[in-house]
Amino acid sequence: MPSDRLAGGKPLSRKGLLIAAALGSAFPIAAGYAAYSAYQGSRSAAAQPASLTGATADFAPNDPPGEWRSQARDYANTRFSPLGQVNRSNVARLKVAWTFSDGTMYGHEGAPLVIGDTMYVVSPYPNVAYALDLTKPGAPMKWSYDPKTSPVAIGKACCDAVLRGWAFADGKLIYNTLDAHTVAVDAKTGKEAWRTKMANVENGVTMTMAAFSTGDKVFVGNSGGEMGVSGWLAALDTKTGKELWRAYGTGPDNMTRIGSDFAPYYPWMRGRDLGVSTWPSGMWKTGAASTWGFVSYDPATNLVYYGTSNPGPRVPAQRPGDNLFSSTVFARDANTGMAKWAYQYTPHDEWDYDGVNEHMLLNIPWQGQRRDVLVHLDRNGFAYTIDRRTGQVLVAGQYGYQNWSSGIDLRTGRPIVRPEMEPKIGQKLERVCPPDIGTKDWQPPAFSPRTGLVYAGIFNICMDLTDHAVSYIPGTPYDGMEMKRYPASGGNWGAFIAWDPVRGRKLWEIPEKFMVMSGVVATAGDLVFYGTVDGWFRAVDAWSGKVLWSQKLSSGIIGQPITYQGPDGRQYVAVFAGVGGAAMVSKDEPGFPPRGGTLYVFSIDGQSPSSSAGMLVTSPSGTASLSDETQQGRH
Amino acid sequence: MDGIARTAVVAVAAAVIAGGGTAWVMETTGRSHPPQGGGAALPPEGAPARVPIGDLAGAAQASLPDNLPNPFEGNAGAAEEGHRLYDRMNCAGCHGYKAKGGMGPDLTDNHWRYGGTPVQIYKSIYEGRPKGMPAWGRALPSNSIWQLTSYIESLGGSFPPAQYHAGMQGDLGDQGAGTQGAGKGKNDK
Repeated sequence: MPSDRLAGGKPLSRKGLLIAAALGSAFPIAAGYAAYSAYQGSRSAAAQPASLTGATADFAPNDPPGEWRSQARDYANTRFSPLGQVNRSNVARLKVAWTFSDGTMYGHEGAPLVIGDTMYVVSPYPNVAYALDLTKPGAPMKWSYDPKTSPVAIGKACCDAVLRGWAFADGKLIYNTLDAHTVAVDAKTGKEAWRTKMANVENGVTMTMAAFSTGDKVFVGNSGGEMGVSGWLAALDTKTGKELWRAYGTGPDNMTRIGSDFAPYYPWMRGRDLGVSTWPSGMWKTGAASTWGFVSYDPATNLVYYGTSNPGPRVPAQRPGDNLFSSTVFARDANTGMAKWAYQYTPHDEWDYDGVNEHMLLNIPWQGQRRDVLVHLDRNGFAYTIDRRTGQVLVAGQYGYQNWSSGIDLRTGRPIVRPEMEPKIGQKLERVCPPDIGTKDWQPPAFSPRTGLVYAGIFNICMDLTDHAVSYIPGTPYDGMEMKRYPASGGNWGAFIAWDPVRGRKLWEIPEKFMVMSGVVATAGDLVFYGTVDGWFRAVDAWSGKVLWSQKLSSGIIGQPITYQGPDGRQYVAVFAGVGGAAMVSKDEPGFPPRGGTLYVFSIDGQSPSSSAGMLVTSPSGTASLSDETQQGRH
Repeated sequence: MDGIARTAVVAVAAAVIAGGGTAWVMETTGRSHPPQGGGAALPPEGAPARVPIGDLAGAAQASLPDNLPNPFEGNAGAAEEGHRLYDRMNCAGCHGYKAKGGMGPDLTDNHWRYGGTPVQIYKSIYEGRPKGMPAWGRALPSNSIWQLTSYIESLGGSFPPAQYHAGMQGDLGDQGAGTQGAGKGKNDK
């Protein structure tokens, strides 16, 4: 049964209601947790309360605590910072310390990196990079780099000309440009070290994902699930940019890099050339299964994990079959790219649910034993906890409203589809939930080993859907979905939630008028930070969900907040304000903000070397990008 | 450039055939050529090419056919056929099934980066534009592109042929030919 409530959720107990009242804007849903109650009861005691779930993580590569060297901070994708200088007792004193505009106006979905005493930021199209000197007042520019991205790419990107971040490896910043190249820039000099053409943008291939690096490799993939592309993940040599391997999302086993040691847990994903035989003749060639989300990595097994996009065309009636390996998680050997296992979240994806959302690698207590798992909040509305060694689904809980499925059959691993929610060409189907962009899109959650919880921004939306037949024409959308999207209930487009990945339950939820499409950062100060599409940046008590601090920024927030320790010893929190991307589906709503492109950096009382009473100081600075699209303002 | 363009044409044709779309392309082409009912002659080959994208300087202004009308003007069937092409050639995928924009710009409002008169719209479809609008001149016959133009004109945001310079000089604001359309002035990009 589809339900507005959590599957298995219990009604609030009297005690729960009392807690809810005490928490103000937070709504504990599965109140009555023994551990949670214990925590509430022992709050006066100084001892750190026990984790609510027992979940932990490996924080390799164990970067210096004050730095933020990769997009998700660690291989496991926890986005947890060990910094605690800013905490629940002083977070209300956060004020803006300094800001930086990158001069661009497309959706700002990325985050800065902080390496040593330098902050690095990269913009959406035209993908300009900056190095900012954190040791000097005003954080002056050390250098800027302009890859001269082709404007043709703007119109080939389905969902705004965005970039979701980048990687630092071998002294270089490595990132994807919208026109389907990967570039490496020397972090010291800002000079281009190498540039590798990955695909032909004229055929609709763009690249928006955050490059991910481990060892001597950087992993990159393509976007274009709406353009009939052929999807892939590739590994490049960080020294030279040379391609080492490329694994496709569809096609024969030699293209999908499936060999004799491929061992998916569920029998329906085993067999020869399933990337061909689960499609009508030849349609796998334009079947998408592209790669535009985050990559995670388990050093213990040398496996990388990532998800693939929706199948193409988006109209399911034109492609009967499971359409493997679209909307699928792959575990691949980092050295060879060979697949170890795969699991398809949404077979024969009929609603554009994709499977690209991040895979957070956690270790949980499970029936008396430790299990190494990945936690994945899929666009299809279910949050999966999967044994990351075998691919077995342990938990599949509903984390937001959906009505396309009556649940995931844990015996077969397949979702139970409600037939009345399957679209037919030319027939308007009303109130399908979630819509194409999901119950949660690409925006990455965070995990705190202190609470044991996963924190995520989610959506609360539905669509009216009409499918149209489409033909494949290179460089044009292979799409066919006509949609109107609106809130599922209550006028709230989104929410911020705390998720128990062991029991598969939502602990609390903060409803938001607009979608929450920002990343999340969790800290050892027991804080969780997120932003809203209408521009509110908030700090929340990681235990209770109580909002402790909010600040309105100049544009909507769809970036990924980070925290770092400056050379001056202070802890800072940074986030971009620059609405765009899929958040534009709510642009007609009153209160939807104008675009922007400003990085905000916060500190306690706004203190930093960049401001003080009577200050009269400037710092020598490098030159801003002179790109037509940025400094020249010629858009 | 030519090599690339030729490859693209072949690719489109091949893809349409591969996708089983040959029938409708042939059908569309056959049925709409010559124009139904109106009987208007298409402008001479190359005339739209002489209409510039940029604004004009000096005496060249007088010699250019900038007020070239749509040969299908007054032909109700042309907009309908254009609408059919709009969906079938995946225009809707970028500009939306209601042409209100998406990956590509809104085609119903009065903001035209490359001009909003019929010949300017024709040129944008024929030539493509630098931010990802493909050049359809190699894939579609001239009459089909004029029919697509008719459809876009029917959405209410375009400018009459004689308003070429007024549009370029920003005189029209929300007062273009499209004022008969509903909700004008509410679309910002």
